[in-house]
Amino acid sequence: MEYSKILENLLHRNEFFIVGKNVVRSDALDKCLGKAKFTADYIEKGTTIVKVIRSTKPHAFIKKIDPSIARNISGVDAILTSKDIPGINQIGYVLPDQPFLNDYKVHYIGDPIALICAQNEDVAQESIESMLIEYEDIPNVNDVDAALKNDSPKIHKDGNIAVTTKIRKGDFEKGFKEAKVIVEDTYWSPYQEHMCLEPDGAYAIPEGANKITVICESQSPHLVREKVASILGWNLNQVRIIQALTGGAFGKKDDTGPLLAAYAALSAVKLGKPSACIYDRIETFSTTPKRFPARFKYRSGADKNGKISAIEVDITLECGAYANRAPFWLWRQTAHAAGPYEVPNVAVDGRAVYTNKVYGGSYRGFGNLALHFAVEQQIDKLAHELKIDPVEFRLNNVLKVGSKTTCDQLLDHSVGMEKCLQGVKEASKWLDKRQSIWNGTKVRGWGVGCAYHGNSTSRSTPDWSAASLIMNIDGSLTYRTGICEIGQGSPFGHAKIVAEILGADISTIKIEQPDTDSTPDAKPTHGSRGLMMGGTAAADAALQLREKIVKVSAEMLYCQKEAVECKDSFAYNKKKPSIKIPFNEISEELHIRGENPAAYGFYTSPKRYYDSDTGLGINYSVYTFASTIAEVEVDTETGEVSVIKLWPAMDVGKAIDPQIIEGQIHGASSHGIGFALMENVQIKESKILNPSFKDYIIPSAMDTPEVDDAILVEEPYNHSAFGAKGVGEPSIISIVPAIINAIHHATGIRFNTLPVTPDKMYKALKEANK
Amino acid sequence: MRTLTGITLLKTHTLVGALEILSTLDRVQPIAGGTDLIPLIREVESKSTHFIDIYSIKELNGIYEESDSIIIGSTTTHSQLLSSKTVSEKIPALHDACSLIGSIQIRNRGTIGGNLCNASPAADSAPPLLVHDAEVNVSSLSKNQWMPLEEFFKGPKISALKSDELLIGIKVPISGNGCSAFKRIGRRKSFTLSIVNAAAFVERDGDSIKNLRLSIGSVAPTPLRMKKVEKEFIGSKLNHQTLTEIGQACSGQVNPIDDVRGTAEYRRDISSVLIKRALIEAWSRTGGK
Amino acid sequence: MIFELNGVNVIAELTTTVTLLDLLRTDFGLTSVKKGCEQGECGACTVLLDGMPVCSCLVLAPQVEGKRVTTIEGLSENPLMKELRDAFMENGAVQCGFCTPGMLLSSFALLRDNRHPTEDEVKVAIEGNICRCTGYVKIIEAILDAAEKISPD
Repeated sequence: MEYSKILENLLHRNEFFIVGKNVVRSDALDKCLGKAKFTADYIEKGTTIVKVIRSTKPHAFIKKIDPSIARNISGVDAILTSKDIPGINQIGYVLPDQPFLNDYKVHYIGDPIALICAQNEDVAQESIESMLIEYEDIPNVNDVDAALKNDSPKIHKDGNIAVTTKIRKGDFEKGFKEAKVIVEDTYWSPYQEHMCLEPDGAYAIPEGANKITVICESQSPHLVREKVASILGWNLNQVRIIQALTGGAFGKKDDTGPLLAAYAALSAVKLGKPSACIYDRIETFSTTPKRFPARFKYRSGADKNGKISAIEVDITLECGAYANRAPFWLWRQTAHAAGPYEVPNVAVDGRAVYTNKVYGGSYRGFGNLALHFAVEQQIDKLAHELKIDPVEFRLNNVLKVGSKTTCDQLLDHSVGMEKCLQGVKEASKWLDKRQSIWNGTKVRGWGVGCAYHGNSTSRSTPDWSAASLIMNIDGSLTYRTGICEIGQGSPFGHAKIVAEILGADISTIKIEQPDTDSTPDAKPTHGSRGLMMGGTAAADAALQLREKIVKVSAEMLYCQKEAVECKDSFAYNKKKPSIKIPFNEISEELHIRGENPAAYGFYTSPKRYYDSDTGLGINYSVYTFASTIAEVEVDTETGEVSVIKLWPAMDVGKAIDPQIIEGQIHGASSHGIGFALMENVQIKESKILNPSFKDYIIPSAMDTPEVDDAILVEEPYNHSAFGAKGVGEPSIISIVPAIINAIHHATGIRFNTLPVTPDKMYKALKEANK
Repeated sequence: MRTLTGITLLKTHTLVGALEILSTLDRVQPIAGGTDLIPLIREVESKSTHFIDIYSIKELNGIYEESDSIIIGSTTTHSQLLSSKTVSEKIPALHDACSLIGSIQIRNRGTIGGNLCNASPAADSAPPLLVHDAEVNVSSLSKNQWMPLEEFFKGPKISALKSDELLIGIKVPISGNGCSAFKRIGRRKSFTLSIVNAAAFVERDGDSIKNLRLSIGSVAPTPLRMKKVEKEFIGSKLNHQTLTEIGQACSGQVNPIDDVRGTAEYRRDISSVLIKRALIEAWSRTGGK
Repeated sequence: MIFELNGVNVIAELTTTVTLLDLLRTDFGLTSVKKGCEQGECGACTVLLDGMPVCSCLVLAPQVEGKRVTTIEGLSENPLMKELRDAFMENGAVQCGFCTPGMLLSSFALLRDNRHPTEDEVKVAIEGNICRCTGYVKIIEAILDAAEKISPD
């Protein structure tokens, strides 16, 4: 079924009622009134407080855990260790390398060892300080090169390499021989902290002796349920997970959701009392997963016609203490390694390496930031060597319909890369800005960054989504999806899709909170799949329900089904539009006539696969493309870099809500500006030195550049509702290299590491002047 | 983060009351806006068990113009300073600094006294007050004294205040036709601690420097006055050459360190850039070119 | 301890020292005031104290004795706040919503005192309210839009 053609083929019209128009989000009012509730807002007085007791060592055996003094402090209800875990003490996401509570060995400063369940914060604090834990130090492994040495201490029993990846396509040695120019460099992309405004939290309430409800932040309530049930040793249906509105996620809550829910749940089950685990900012910063640092050794060759002929890429991904998402993250980097360009000869080798630091996890961009930071600079360098304009060089190489990606996947439709790049080239008047411009001691430059991002989960995992839709007897609609509202507005996008298909007034659709007791598993809210996958399941449900509505309406209107139109929650005969039947009457008739007023939507993505020897295959069902041109100004006296203006473009397939998409582009751009210019997780001897807003600098309103109207290109994807693709991630990927390339344009200086802080820029300028 | 449970907040509406408490109780810490103190207690175990709220003591708040000086009460907030015409006209460098301290929320609570007593080498209000030859009034129950602001800073986060003393106010002498300006660099455009800051005060006679005072912060254990440099250039004409020389001379006087905010090398180099920029601005405020 | 909260005189029983943030959330159930950092760096806990935006995580509860505290719950019917709210909603300035109450209060204080702010003045007004979702662009547009509506040129 071509979901992209729902309008023409199934609704039989060519005018959208609500898709493609800006609509006020249904959750905005409560948020503006302060009525919207987040996890910590649910907690009642008297709830037990759960705090995590953590390792103070980066790498050590645990010799003894002595809770006796801590346990005796008045107000301490329990101290829970691995011995108290009824189920399985394992929380590793892919590799079973991560105990839930460590009792044998710790791998980073902050590694969880035990839980304190106390009546208030003061008692919890005192109790933490009274825990006696004896360690036997093991030399810690501070960086990936140390970890890769033969004599390095082993962080996990199978050694320090968690996973490897590989691609071999064509003949890269031949490709390099054919090259007229070859450029080679090493790029290092560091940790980044999500800095969600809401710190992590979970609130667990026991329901009788055999059930637990946890209200928590998460990006996949069903994943949380699975992990909590596994730790409790319970069946899935004994655990109810409700995703509260979440104050920012960007991937963080994908990883911390299950952890905190399990901490709170374990306490609640053991004590039979409601328990809450809420982190403060310092704990969130110091101990939760971050963007994986990555090193790229990248060699690129281009022939005399300006075509990229070969690439050889070596990726070292730093996992930190646990592999967590590393297999997926490294795989995405590997599969995208050529960037959004057609390259016939590709060799990629990657490895994910353990170190004794805080571990990596999901983060907007998921590996593609580091990759494109490398690729887009390589492209600029190739262009420079061949004396071709950087945008022209890219246009000559970008993926088009009929191209093959890094891993030889044929793109047979929905490739808007060229349109995005042409769009920003024109909008920014790129050709008029080929010289940097001086103004006193300040100089301005312009740079371009392109990106592509395979939608949904990596490694060609089977992908599906589900949704449920009920028409209540008064004509109002109840919609349920497991896709989480984390600020990005995906569930509202589903509601618009439903509204469009049913012809319903959007205000009559209520989106229920994800609740594993009643909400279908839509699979996780990550990989920019929330709308693409979840929205198509919504469409599936809506199409089923529409069929019933149209059938009954036709009977009530005494006309053919094809003549029925639905709009604004009324059904009418297209030939006699003055007679309108409201949905409440239709719903009553549905019930009376025995037509099912509910639908369960289910949607499976086209199959993907890859060959593990060559790494080639169909890796992602569809890619979103993006391009950003950035104008920066460098104050050469102080090294301060400001982003003055951005011109963003994205191929979104179909813009379900342009305003929401712009919001994603702006937010992702801001996130990228921070990463490029300000954000620096400072680690010394495995310890994080700056775990707060004060010393980890992210953009404030004053750092906001001028942003040109986002160019939304629409190259519909055949297999998603109205052709929509995921939009949350590509802008953060394209902006970082755009800024770095712009700095080069302005100053002639390239940066292979980030962030480019004032002192770093200043030092490079000083050295260049020598 | 630590809770505040172990801390008692004592209140008083009179200055005498506050001084009495400070002289009789051990481990008492005066608090006004709390913008530095509260985050500190959260992260680090407090040495104090009692906090005395001096925010409602009327004598400690306000900006008063006397015949030859301006008196600023120690609990005057940065917002109050920003909206004061007296300050923007007569102590422009302080106005500049206050507009850059924190965010509006911080400025509405944070006080100039707090900024000085916190004694961070990067305190933004210090260089402006230092170039205006400010004095501070320190009082205990038994003693009341004025001292030059320079003597108030003893080391990083160490002020001259004894445990029974309170910073009452600041006196800024006003004379002549000098103007001042303040510049700083942070890790982002705003709402960030200064990596380096600087202030300049200049009195102009034609195109010559009649009087010159320079101060740089965050380049030494305390905010510095550049007295050697000032002496050297009083009487000189101000032009590109002398500006460069002044900048270089100042760079030579500083002694910065590496920390999470910046490197020593960067601080040293930028201090000369900032002092030049502050001086250029102060000069143009006197009407000079 | 007596103070005015959202227009009503209230009594707070203070048994230990807490911040205004904790007092408002725990004792008065005003959960619109959010806890983002407790260090005065994110602005999610912004309230109006005697009409001025402050970080409630930096105010000790006893320090509001005799003063006026306003949270967003207390401005739900206020005409200026209604314009701001509408502007935020219509301009797409709300994503996850965690920064929104604080952001609205800072914007409210701005427009109340300055009917024609420039874009720079808007940025200064909300500089202490961190948003990680929107990149601020639509928030700034919303505030300028509201300013237009309340005092059209």
